[in-house]
Amino acid sequence: MLTLEDAGRGELREILDLAAAFAEGRVRDALADKTVCLAFFEASTRTAVSFELAARRSGAYVISLSEEGSAIAKGESLVDTVVTLDRLGADAIVLRHPAAGAAALASRHTSAPVINAGDGCGQHPTQALLDLYALSDALGGFDELAGRRIAIVGDILHSRVARSIIPGFARSGMEVSLVAPRTLLPPDAGAWGLPVLSSVDEATEWGADVLYMLRLQKERMTGARIPSVAEYARFYGVARRHLEGGALVMHPGPVNRGVEISGDVVLGASSLIPDQVAAGVCVRSAVLALATGAAQRVAA
Amino acid sequence: MIQDPGATPELIIRRAHVFDPSTGLDGIRDVRLSSGRISEVGEGLRGTRELDAESLHLFPGFVDVHAHWRTPGREDEEDIESGSAAAAAGGFTGVVMMPNTDPIVDRPVVVSGLARRVELESRVRARISAALHVGLAGERLTEMRLLKEAGAFCVSDDGLGTASAGVLRNGMLYARSAGLPVILHCEDHTLATGVVHDGAAASLAGLPGSPASAEDTATATALVLAAETGAKVHITHVSTALSAALVSFFKGRAYVTADTTPHHLTLTDDLISTLDGLYRVNPPLRPDGDRGGVEEALREGILDFVATDHAPHASEEKELPLEEAAPGFLGHETAFAALYTELVLDGRLSLERLVGAMSSAPGRWVGEGGSLAVGTVADLTLVDLSEDWMVDRSALISHSSNSPFLGRTLTGRVVGTIVGGGLVHDRTGARFGVRA
Repeated sequence: MLTLEDAGRGELREILDLAAAFAEGRVRDALADKTVCLAFFEASTRTAVSFELAARRSGAYVISLSEEGSAIAKGESLVDTVVTLDRLGADAIVLRHPAAGAAALASRHTSAPVINAGDGCGQHPTQALLDLYALSDALGGFDELAGRRIAIVGDILHSRVARSIIPGFARSGMEVSLVAPRTLLPPDAGAWGLPVLSSVDEATEWGADVLYMLRLQKERMTGARIPSVAEYARFYGVARRHLEGGALVMHPGPVNRGVEISGDVVLGASSLIPDQVAAGVCVRSAVLALATGAAQRVAA
Repeated sequence: MIQDPGATPELIIRRAHVFDPSTGLDGIRDVRLSSGRISEVGEGLRGTRELDAESLHLFPGFVDVHAHWRTPGREDEEDIESGSAAAAAGGFTGVVMMPNTDPIVDRPVVVSGLARRVELESRVRARISAALHVGLAGERLTEMRLLKEAGAFCVSDDGLGTASAGVLRNGMLYARSAGLPVILHCEDHTLATGVVHDGAAASLAGLPGSPASAEDTATATALVLAAETGAKVHITHVSTALSAALVSFFKGRAYVTADTTPHHLTLTDDLISTLDGLYRVNPPLRPDGDRGGVEEALREGILDFVATDHAPHASEEKELPLEEAAPGFLGHETAFAALYTELVLDGRLSLERLVGAMSSAPGRWVGEGGSLAVGTVADLTLVDLSEDWMVDRSALISHSSNSPFLGRTLTGRVVGTIVGGGLVHDRTGARFGVRA
C-alpha cells in the first residue's frame, strides 16, 4: 500500500467494504499475533493515533518508533531502520517520512508489507481511503460517488493528500477540478487533465457537490507564493455562502480556522471533517488486514 | 471628468483626412460621433454640431501605457489634472499610471482612492497599474486580486525592477491567476551601477556608466519566465538592439509584447557630453547602434508600440550635475511630433506604422480604442501635420518642464483630442461651429 495511483474501482470497493465490516464490529482480532511497526520520521497526530488504535483493537503487537526517542533521532538511515524492523519480525511497517518515495524505497528492503502513511509531497493513500469512506457514508454508498463533482482547493503543489485523493476520487467516478493560484499548482497541472479554477466561487459555479480544502502552510507560503492570508481566505477559503446550495466540506486536518474554512463552517452541518477523522480507524484496520493477509482469514 | 456617454451631444467631424491602420481608412471623410462612440464614417454627413477639420489628420486616439503622474506624493511635479491635460495635449486618450508613487500603489485602499480621483480629475482614460510586490521591494507579492477588485488594470515593477527571478516567476504565476497583465522594467541593479550608458561618451565625459547588459540580462530573465509561466507580460522601455532581438526570439514562445520610448528612438548618448542633468534618464540614452536597432524593431513590429515613460521632475531635481540629477523625461506632449519629425519625415518610418504604434497596438493591449471602426469608443486625435512648433517651457502644460526636446522645433502638432465624444484638448479655434 504505497500509492493510490494504480488502484482500480474494484479494489477501492473491497477496502471500503472491509472497513465497514470493521466499523460495524463484524470483524474481531483480525491481527491477532501480528506485529505492526509504526515508523514515523515526521510528526503526526491523527494518522499515528488512528493506525495505532486500528492495530491494537485488532489484537496486534505494536512497535512505535517516532523521531524522538529512537535510533531515528540518532541519525539511523531509513533503510537501516526498515531492515531492523524486518528482522525483528514485523508483519507490516507503517511509514511516515518527509521525502517523497520513502515508502517505495523502504519496501525494497523488507519482505513485510509497507503501508505509506505519508511521504513528503508524494502520496498519502490511507487519507484518500478514509475520505472515500466518509464521503460514501454521507452520500449513501460508494456507488453514489459516481458523477458527483468535487473541487480540490488550495496548495496542490505541496500536498501529498492531493496526489492521493485526485486518483482516488477520479477512480470512484467523480468529476474532479482543481482550485488554486498558479503559484500553488504544479507547472503542468494540465497533465492531470482536470479543469483548473481560480476561486471557491468559481467552484460553486462549476457545480461542486463537495469542496475538499487542503491545509495552507501559512508561514511558508505567505509573501512568497500567496500575497496574504486575507486574500487567500477571500478567494480560496470556504464560507457559509458557498454551502447554501447543499455542498459538503472536507479537510484532512489540521484546519487553519478562518483561512481554508471560516470558523462557523468547520463543525457545521455541511462539514464532514469529524467523519473523516472517525473513518480513520476502521479504514486503517482494513488496510492492515489486507496488507498482512489477515483479511483472507477473516473472509474464510 | 470624462463625460457621461449619454450626455455627450452628437458631433460630426467634417472633411478630415481620416487615417486608421486598424481599418485601412485613408482619405477625406466625415465621422459621426454619438453616445460616446463612432457611429458613422462617410461623406457628406451633416448635423447640428460640426467640427471643420479640413487639412487636419484624424487618427484613433493615442494610448500611452507608461506614465508617471506623481500622484499621490509629488503633486508639485504632476497631478492627475496636469498629467491628463499634458496627455490630452499630446493626443493621448488613454494612459496607464505607474505605481512608484509615495505611497507606492501596493494596497487596495490606495488603488481605490486613486481610482476615485481619476474619475473626478482625469481628462483621459487613466488606468491604474498597481505594484507587483509590496513596497516595490522585490520580496512579497501584493494582494493582486484585491488590487484588481479595487480598480487596478495591471501590475508592474516599474522604476525598480525585480531582483529575484524566483519572486518574478511567482509574481507572473500569481498575476496570471489574478487575470492581470504584468508590465516589467528590466534592469539588473548589480550591473546598473552608473548614471549613463557605459560607452565611449561616458568615458570621454568621466561619468560612471551602466552597461547595456544591465538591461539585456534582466530582459532575458523576464522573457524566459514569461514563456514558462504563460503570464501576459509587457516589457517596457526597451532601449538596446540586443533586448529587441531577445523580444523577437520570444515572440511566439511567450505571451509577450514590448514597447520603446520616443527618446530612445530619436536621441543618443552624444547628449551626455553636455553634462546637463536634464539628459539623465533610465534606461539611459544609448549609442546610435542601439537606437537604430530599436528603430528597426519598431518598424518590423517586434517592438509592438511606443510608450513615453512620461516622468516629470521638479527643476531642483534636474538642474544638477548629471550624476546628481533625477532620471526621467517628460513624454506626453512631444511624443508624436518628435517621432513624426525625426522618423517619418526622414523616411525611416511610415506614418501608418507610427500611428499603429501609438494607437492601434497599445489600444489593442489595453482592450479599448485604437481604431476608427464604427462602434468603437469615440477616442480620437486631430493633428496638423504641417504645423511647426517650438518646444519651450511656456508651450508645455505639464507641471514640470524636463523635456529633452526643449528648444527644438518639431513638425506636426496635436490640434484636438476627443475622449468619449467630448473635446478634452482644443486648439481648433474657430473651426468649431454650431449650425443654426
